[in-house]
Amino acid sequence: MAHADEAAVFNKDEAKVDWHDKALWFVRQKRDKSAHNVKGWENLRDLASAIKANVLSNLDGYLLQFEENAQKNGVTVHWAADAEEHNKIVHSILAKHDVKKVVKSKSMLTEECHLNPYLESHDIEVIDTDLGERIVQLAQEPPSHIVLPAIHKRKEEVDVLFQEHLGTKPCNGDPQYLTSEARKHLRDKFLKADAAITGVNFAVADTGGFVVCTNEGNADMGAHLAKVHIACMGMEKLIPQEKHLGVFLRLLARSATGQPITTYSSHFNKPEPGKEMHIVIVDNGRTEQLSREDFRASLHCIRCGACMNTCPIYRRSGGHSYKATIPGPIGSILSPGIDLKKHSSLPFASTLCGSCSDVCPVKINIHEQLYKWRQVIVKDVPQPVVKKTVLKIAGSVLANSKMYSFVGKSSRFMLKHAPRFLIYSKLNAWGKARDLPEVKNENFDEWYKKRKKNE
Amino acid sequence: MSRESILKAVKKNKPESLPLPEIDLSFFEEEINLVETFIDNLKFVGGQAIQLNAIEAMDAEIKKLYPKASKIVSCVKESTLGTISINKDTEPHGLEDIDLAIIKGELAVAENGAIWIAESDFTIRALPFITNDLILIVEKKDIYLHLHHVYEAISKRERTFGVFISGPSKTADIEQCLVVGAHGAMSLTVFIV
Repeated sequence: MAHADEAAVFNKDEAKVDWHDKALWFVRQKRDKSAHNVKGWENLRDLASAIKANVLSNLDGYLLQFEENAQKNGVTVHWAADAEEHNKIVHSILAKHDVKKVVKSKSMLTEECHLNPYLESHDIEVIDTDLGERIVQLAQEPPSHIVLPAIHKRKEEVDVLFQEHLGTKPCNGDPQYLTSEARKHLRDKFLKADAAITGVNFAVADTGGFVVCTNEGNADMGAHLAKVHIACMGMEKLIPQEKHLGVFLRLLARSATGQPITTYSSHFNKPEPGKEMHIVIVDNGRTEQLSREDFRASLHCIRCGACMNTCPIYRRSGGHSYKATIPGPIGSILSPGIDLKKHSSLPFASTLCGSCSDVCPVKINIHEQLYKWRQVIVKDVPQPVVKKTVLKIAGSVLANSKMYSFVGKSSRFMLKHAPRFLIYSKLNAWGKARDLPEVKNENFDEWYKKRKKNE
Repeated sequence: MSRESILKAVKKNKPESLPLPEIDLSFFEEEINLVETFIDNLKFVGGQAIQLNAIEAMDAEIKKLYPKASKIVSCVKESTLGTISINKDTEPHGLEDIDLAIIKGELAVAENGAIWIAESDFTIRALPFITNDLILIVEKKDIYLHLHHVYEAISKRERTFGVFISGPSKTADIEQCLVVGAHGAMSLTVFIV
């Protein structure tokens, strides 16, 4: 199904859409407030963007440097060309230690690779430990947002879900009670886990270390209690030097939620004596994206989710409507590179208003890339006949000023005089759930000419 | 292993080399009261700050704040409240029911209310996360304006494990309602001396 059709499903519950829209806009406002508090915010964005561009242009060198330093620290480094190889590597590490229970903190990469079902098929229990991720895991759904995985769920739904799976008492969705019950439930999982899997927010080439950011402390609870820690990272997560963390950590949480920094920013360098630390570096289509000049800057992304919170389409269509691991504007420029046909409707799920590019902490030109993907898609993917025909007609009208003027006049006449059932018929998508603007008698051209005459 | 093929593909597909920019700190310098800003930000992220004239007054304050705490790990010689001693070989799972941990912070960041602690400050990596409540001690002279200065200050450390902690553990994953106390410490108190 195309994005618009999926969005229509989400839009059936109008009250929920309104709530979703407002909740995310509130996060966007918190981001603004936080960003405006920082002197030199725009300089920080410029720096971050330039550092990421430098990383991509020397990625092979930085990868080698990172590997060498991580190995010196006693960390085992693995390389995976695709999702399948990634999953096999993770499983082989777990199998070697006879691991049966794994706790996992947030990692969009392991979502992308569908690691959970793979490990479960090998009789390994995988528990997502971020509260939002645990909620969607229990609901057997994918996350709908990369920072707020359960933003599409109302608290009453969480209440019911926890009653069923955690045996909680009915509480009208009291977040305090539900969170405290989740804490107890997951603490038990942390204590019993044989291995912990985490994502990587930043990997530092010149130290071989990596940083994981959470608010809940779940990555640390997992990694410090289990005997084995596996950190999975997309290859674009590298930064050259540790001091560059100063730039990125200042931007990340402020852009994501408006916090000045996440509660925990954990710097892992060496495994504890007697324990193992592994890093899996994953390509899975990233080198291909690197080859595309128009789209490679999408690899700057630090997964803050700011573009989602600000996007008028995302806020009103929900993350699941994108049918992609990464939803929203950034997902819509990443996903076509992975499967053009499957994700061909995503670059059209945008008004091209550019708000995503304005809030992006690493200055990805998201809306320009959306426009560029459209141009690729109309050439490579067959478009619906209706859309093609309508656009052809629109093209000929716009190319001919007399025709344009005639069509404008007749549309205005129709809008004013035609009966309501005709204007708001099913054929007019613009009349769905909104009133069309009031019609004036003249258009700009006529108004301007009249004004000139009167001068 | 796909190491060689990945590296080869990167080499082939990467753009022409672009320069690594220098961080010009003059963009970010500000004349502000570091202690006040730090305290404001710490409050904003859900922590509480207590200024002490003398470190000797700390234990009395702790007893007032956490009267019920009985299982206490103190990693500082300035507090005598510790009831459980730990060393490198302590099994972290055994710290599951710790009420309170007291740790000396190496430095603090005014701009975000964060405190840097490294493994050598708390011996057992799980401790600051698994404890029910957390106390960090920071000296006024160790409060820095922002992260750029801090990374310079910690650049010579022995790198094993270290963490910036900004407030107590929290989540807003249920309808964006902020709940303090997710998986890590339920509260954070910072003594500034």
